[in-house]
Amino acid sequence: MASLMSAKLIVNTASCRSVKQLLFSRDISIYSNFSGKVLNVSLPCLSLSRHFAEKLVYAREKPHVNVGTIGHVDHGKTTLTAAITKVLADKKLAKAQTYEDIDKAPEEKARGITINSAHVEYNTENRHYSHTDCPGHADYIKNMITGASMMDGAILVVAATDGVMPQTKEHLVLAKQIGIEHLVVFINKVDAADSEMLELVEIEIRELLSEMGYPGDDIPIIKGSALKALEGTDPDIGSSVILKLMEEIDRYIPIPIRDLDKPFRFPIEQTYQIPGRGTVCTGRVERGKIKKGMECEILGYDKALKTTITGIEMFHKTLEYAEAGDQLGALIRGIKRDDVKRGMVICKPGTAEVNNHVEAQVYMLKKDEGGNNKPALPWQNVSIFSSTWDCTGQLHPSKEMVMPGEDATFEIRLLRSMYFEKGQRFTMRQGSTTIGTGVVTQTLPPLTDLEKKLIMESKKKREKLLAELQKPDAPAS
Amino acid sequence: MLGTQLARLFHSTNCNLSASKSALAELRKKTGYTFANCKKALETNNNDLAQAEKWLQEQAQALGWAKASKLQGRAASQGLLGVSVDNNHASVVEVNCETDFVAKNGTFKSFVELVTSSCLQLSKQQKNFSNSIAKTILGNEQLKNSPCSDGKSLGDHTALAIGSVGENVILSRALCLSVDGDLKLAGHVHPPSEKTSYPLLGRFAAVVVYKANPHTEITEKVGKQLCQHIIGMNPSAVGNPETDKPAEDADSEKNLIFQQFLINSDVTVQELLQEHNMTVVDFCRLECAEEFENQEKSAAQQAG
Repeated sequence: MASLMSAKLIVNTASCRSVKQLLFSRDISIYSNFSGKVLNVSLPCLSLSRHFAEKLVYAREKPHVNVGTIGHVDHGKTTLTAAITKVLADKKLAKAQTYEDIDKAPEEKARGITINSAHVEYNTENRHYSHTDCPGHADYIKNMITGASMMDGAILVVAATDGVMPQTKEHLVLAKQIGIEHLVVFINKVDAADSEMLELVEIEIRELLSEMGYPGDDIPIIKGSALKALEGTDPDIGSSVILKLMEEIDRYIPIPIRDLDKPFRFPIEQTYQIPGRGTVCTGRVERGKIKKGMECEILGYDKALKTTITGIEMFHKTLEYAEAGDQLGALIRGIKRDDVKRGMVICKPGTAEVNNHVEAQVYMLKKDEGGNNKPALPWQNVSIFSSTWDCTGQLHPSKEMVMPGEDATFEIRLLRSMYFEKGQRFTMRQGSTTIGTGVVTQTLPPLTDLEKKLIMESKKKREKLLAELQKPDAPAS
Repeated sequence: MLGTQLARLFHSTNCNLSASKSALAELRKKTGYTFANCKKALETNNNDLAQAEKWLQEQAQALGWAKASKLQGRAASQGLLGVSVDNNHASVVEVNCETDFVAKNGTFKSFVELVTSSCLQLSKQQKNFSNSIAKTILGNEQLKNSPCSDGKSLGDHTALAIGSVGENVILSRALCLSVDGDLKLAGHVHPPSEKTSYPLLGRFAAVVVYKANPHTEITEKVGKQLCQHIIGMNPSAVGNPETDKPAEDADSEKNLIFQQFLINSDVTVQELLQEHNMTVVDFCRLECAEEFENQEKSAAQQAG
């Protein structure tokens, strides 16, 4: 075994460094002599395990959709996920995963935040799916905030034997909160229930869905047994039901709009003055396509400038058009270099907004995630970083304080109007510490002059101002 | 002949089915027990709704215990803390469950409130005061056997809660606290509940024992703010102004009195106390599932 391992070491390393160089090291040269024979014999198969060249290439053949499961711990979320992979693996559309594989998913780190979640990948005839399963509310929220796996739709799993649980309501509250508009319901464990129970469970679920603001009557409900599908017995309530479920998911959960098809958006990273030509802005196209000669708007820092893109360049070559992901320089007409700066965004006129007042869902990092050990408080000022800009922002959490490790809804007031839209992600820093990360959930009406003024005032002056404002109202009330 | 055939048509099985179906639906709606149990209740009681309901209520306890023993041993790392203060008596309890979905649910919340109130009653029976403070710490076993106002034990109520939410629920720990003389108590939780009267529920809890002269509405409010400060800044001791020295780095200060006050960082806690002529005697701060995390850490250390 030892020789095999050393052989592997050499084969792997030798492919990127010269063997000669390695032989100077005494330790390894001993091993290589020792394992000379094994090396010859096992070379062909070992070369297969080289970790760089062998990674499979993801072929983008089908549209990609993110889904996830939600439901009570004992209703068979994990069994269903395992069953889906198994049934689709039989059709060569997935890699079968066992219950244990999915259940024991390790903690992962996204943007430095620890999240408990399992990710599984599978295909249907029409689509490619990434499937997320998390144990708790907080994990789904963290997933949403970091963008680790935005769910376009979800499968609500309910066991026919139990029906809707008290906490099923909380599951739907979560789905609403993380912006899931499309749900498909799977009624599990039908083998342990009779037809009238199934009918009643269905009625109950539809009622609850309607109550929570979902189209309860239209949501597809599929009944089956995930366990039977996983065991491969009783296809009537097993594998065929799983295929039916996937069919409904294909049909009911829409494909998200690809970034490429959205109106173009181009956050400015740097600006240059090129004598004789004009101002050039560089950056990476965030979404959409840019063509030469397109009209555009430059937004940010309380400004809105209208102009035209007169030229696009990438690697010192001019381009006819550029698309999302391209790093480029854009020549803009009639704008002085002093008028534009890093942090502004170039976009199709009328398609982007600048805001200085938003509502956001924020996760505060714990100390061991690199965050602060103090809670976030109302009126606290932090630096907000998003896209290519940073700006002072004032926090107004929905609670009296937010502890590290907690998530909360915040109202954020920015010193300047910046490109800050619904769905946009940002981080919050205090000094050199990243204290939180969040996503904009809603834009709010622009700040009043007073609110703007209050951002930079000291606590004493602020309280005095607020007290003065209260005074004229006091006798009236 | 024709008559009997007609009669058969009238007594179609469909008719019977719909009758029992509505009975099942009704029973489920009324009691909230699982479909499987409602079904069983109706079967054992000849589809008699009233009797089935009675049977269910009787069986609920047994079913709860059965479920509880089935789920026993499953990790419960979420949950809630409850705090209740009534003049000189206070109780803080921790109840754990498996997911934060359940921790947000009304059924679970009212159960934690019940446990908190029951422990407050226990506080009131304490007699062993030392330095005017009486403290009892209860573990899982003691809590299970503690009585509740309706005569059942808290363990029975736990089993009912488990039967309802279908998750393991653990009464982890409780602190019963009483003071006498001129000592006062204040308690607070985080995140703050919508309601303002005790018992309060949250993921963090703090109780502070203080003296105030005179004791007014303002000092009572400061007492609550101190609890919020303790939750937020996590001090490890009260600190003695005569023997202890403030830490050089204000951010790592662990003595309560030298810390900057959370709500107004222009003053230290000591300055705040002096301003209101108050003294903090003792405090306690709990974090939901902190023991669970500590256990995990030590297990990881042993393994690694």
